[in-house]
Amino acid sequence: MSTHSLVFEQIITGIGIGSRLFLVAAGLSLIFGVLDVLNFAHGVLYMIGAYVAIVVVESVVGSFVLGVVAAVVVVAVVGGALESVFIRRLYGRDEEILDQLLLTFAFVLIIEDVVRFVFGSGGKSLTPPEVLTGTVPLGAGLSVPTYRGFVIVMAVLVLAGLLAVLRYTNVGRIVRSTSSDREMARLLGVNVPRLYTGVFVVGAALAGLGGALAAPAESISSNLGNSIIIDAFVVVVIGGLGSFVGAFVGAILIGILTAVGSEVIAGAGEFFPFLAMIVVLVLRPTGLFGGAEV
Amino acid sequence: MTVLELRDVNAYYGNSHILFDLAMDVEENDVVTLLGRNGAGKTTTLRAITGTVPRREGHIAYRGEEITDTAVERISRRGVKLVPEERRVFPTLTVLENVQLAHELAADPRDVEETFELFPVLDDLRGNLGRNLSGGEQQMLSVARALVQNPDLLLLDEPTEGLAPVIVDDLREVLGDVVARDVTVLMTEQNVEFALDLGERAYIIDTGSNVWNGSVEELRDREDLLEEYLSVGTGET
Repeated sequence: MSTHSLVFEQIITGIGIGSRLFLVAAGLSLIFGVLDVLNFAHGVLYMIGAYVAIVVVESVVGSFVLGVVAAVVVVAVVGGALESVFIRRLYGRDEEILDQLLLTFAFVLIIEDVVRFVFGSGGKSLTPPEVLTGTVPLGAGLSVPTYRGFVIVMAVLVLAGLLAVLRYTNVGRIVRSTSSDREMARLLGVNVPRLYTGVFVVGAALAGLGGALAAPAESISSNLGNSIIIDAFVVVVIGGLGSFVGAFVGAILIGILTAVGSEVIAGAGEFFPFLAMIVVLVLRPTGLFGGAEV
Repeated sequence: MTVLELRDVNAYYGNSHILFDLAMDVEENDVVTLLGRNGAGKTTTLRAITGTVPRREGHIAYRGEEITDTAVERISRRGVKLVPEERRVFPTLTVLENVQLAHELAADPRDVEETFELFPVLDDLRGNLGRNLSGGEQQMLSVARALVQNPDLLLLDEPTEGLAPVIVDDLREVLGDVVARDVTVLMTEQNVEFALDLGERAYIIDTGSNVWNGSVEELRDREDLLEEYLSVGTGET
């Protein structure tokens, strides 16, 4: 393989990793931007999405599309339940942030153990549908694996959809206003508790989508949640908490640094993303897009 | 008809007791000014009515219905609208989006274009972000945002605070129009001249309690009250 082919392949691999990471980071960023909740359980929601997709595709209906839809719906419902039954009890407490971290970390431990009990600790994966196998030639001897290209397109569509909803719809105006001044939003008539549940559901659904799309691309196991949440936090720190564009740029950057970094120094793929995070924190503590609207 | 009735209202921020057995009535189409020095409890009174004070006790009724334990957004949806002291326009929304948002959230809103006609200065700034407006423009937007919701009871918290005299005159004109449209208004104001110009009845509160209420005409003649509780005539305002 020529050098430029190798570099191209690593960059595409990185963009693919970053695209899946974006779906998790976008939900994390949305939830933080509107609710001020740092949801450590977001990674296990991603893991649940992956497992639901595998179970539905392999054991129930055999359709990849239905598997993805089921993952999104199930994780959205789980997320809605977590917020409305547990997390909302913490809003306004004196030690709210600490309580959030303890509560959502408890969810991580409980859900991981339940998944390990039900599915075992071995890795699982999903075969992508026939139409998404193979490669797409790009000319000049370069090509992109079809499934990786599909995930990248999905991430771009999700980003465009989120930005369009925020920018051009009433729901978007409500979300943006509440994220900047929740009390004033309530004074104008926004039902903030209902909005919070809705935002948490959407954030969780994005994690479910990311997990379902990850199932054919990586080994799914009960510790997937822990590894993805650390990367997602790195992404939102680099991109800027609360910014979708920041989450997208941060995720793609982390994906490329991971893929290319592991080629440069074998086994050191994690080194470069954390180095990037440190550099961003030192030079621009609010992140690349920090302070921008949700 | 009594639009708003407060009886034995107490309000607290943490361990701080701010309002003490406050009583007040606002009748249909009244323009009531709530006067008092800084820290007297004027803003807390409005926050108790809108439900945004951390703890309140007593009896607050809006059009005969108890709202003491009602959620903020439900009080708003019944037609009680606040123009807050700090303006609090949404900084990342444009002028038009601030007004549209308020319009979409109201049960029976006023037309957006009709509202912009009341505020020519805002009409030229529709695409500007809230954070890029001057203090006077933000105050106009804050009032416009409340008016587009077609309030049944409009609460104005220190509307002239920090505004240049020329902007205060513009605001006086706009609010004069609003009052002429038979909107019931309860306003806190430290600018006594502005308050007495616009108001019909007045309450004076001091350290969280009522000390006087009556017509604005009566108050104009009570130099003792103006001096003791509002520092008018002593060189302070």
